[in-house]
Amino acid sequence: MNFTSKTLLLAATLTLLAVLGGCASKKGTGSYVVLLRDPDGNAGKVIVQTPQGEQTLTEVFKGTALDGKREPFFVMQDQLQRDFGAALAAMPLPPERFLLYFESGGAVLTAQSKADLERVLQRTRARPSPDISVVGHTDTAGLAEANKALGLRRATAMAEQLRQLGLQNTTISVESHGEGNLLVRTPDNTAEALNRRVEITIR
Amino acid sequence: MKRRFNFRQALAALVLTTLPLFSQAQTEPIGYVKTVTGEAWVSNGAERVRAQRGTPILLGSQLRTQAGASLGVSFKDNTLMSFGPDTELTVDEYLYSPADDQLKLSTRLMRGTLNYIAGVIAKLKPDAVSVRTPMGVIGVRGTQFLVKVEDEQ
Repeated sequence: MNFTSKTLLLAATLTLLAVLGGCASKKGTGSYVVLLRDPDGNAGKVIVQTPQGEQTLTEVFKGTALDGKREPFFVMQDQLQRDFGAALAAMPLPPERFLLYFESGGAVLTAQSKADLERVLQRTRARPSPDISVVGHTDTAGLAEANKALGLRRATAMAEQLRQLGLQNTTISVESHGEGNLLVRTPDNTAEALNRRVEITIR
Repeated sequence: MKRRFNFRQALAALVLTTLPLFSQAQTEPIGYVKTVTGEAWVSNGAERVRAQRGTPILLGSQLRTQAGASLGVSFKDNTLMSFGPDTELTVDEYLYSPADDQLKLSTRLMRGTLNYIAGVIAKLKPDAVSVRTPMGVIGVRGTQFLVKVEDEQ
């Protein structure tokens, strides 16, 4: 008898919770953030400052309310799809990056990199609306100012080649980081083949 | 007397030569629209254009999607953002000059849904990246995340 009434009480409580839950979900899921793994498979961190204090998300699929009035919670796949399906479907293709290397002192590509340039063209053509950035870099041989100019010469030469090879209608931006953004860390005045490069990003 | 005159002239010359630099910096694209479905808009001040593939995003641009629409954009530092319907986001600050350590990306999501994939700015300088909402401020440490801001009723 006692057992039955306990069971009844439990059933009543569960029904009440379900009804309350139903009401809550009718109002929508509220404003919240969810952490995902990025396209490279890495999960970083999201830190949310709310009027109630700070919440840090480090677990994939964990969410937290923007008003800070709820403990962090796991977000189910169907809710993600309902709330974010359209936004996720509109995600642009991830950018692709290529490094091309130069003979010392000038804007002449190494033999290997000449071949890689063809691949840049192919990958650009595979995109519906590409834009390209070309960033020139140098090693630390010579003066910083001269290297800034050399980096720009390399980037400009590459952009020019890409246009001549058929990308005349693609937006190409050009800039130089000179010796300020080394791939291989070296002391000043050091020739290093891996630092003499342009970085081409196709977006 | 003569010295003062020269100073003024120098100041005037400085202003005249730097003004075009500022306006140029503001009109240089920081990103482009890559995907659109339905009706979406990019506003720069009083100027408003219907978003298409290739529409430039500038510093200060406001991006807006109508009901049933979606939009995807990529930025110079490889940050990607895509939006579901009924969404409004403004790019308040954008600095991307890694060689000079000038890095900043702050946006404001007023309503709607945002899918955010962090780019180079977030990797090089995590503190420089934020998404403000009417309720909380989101800081990004190199990752992908989703945000939904419901209209307050």
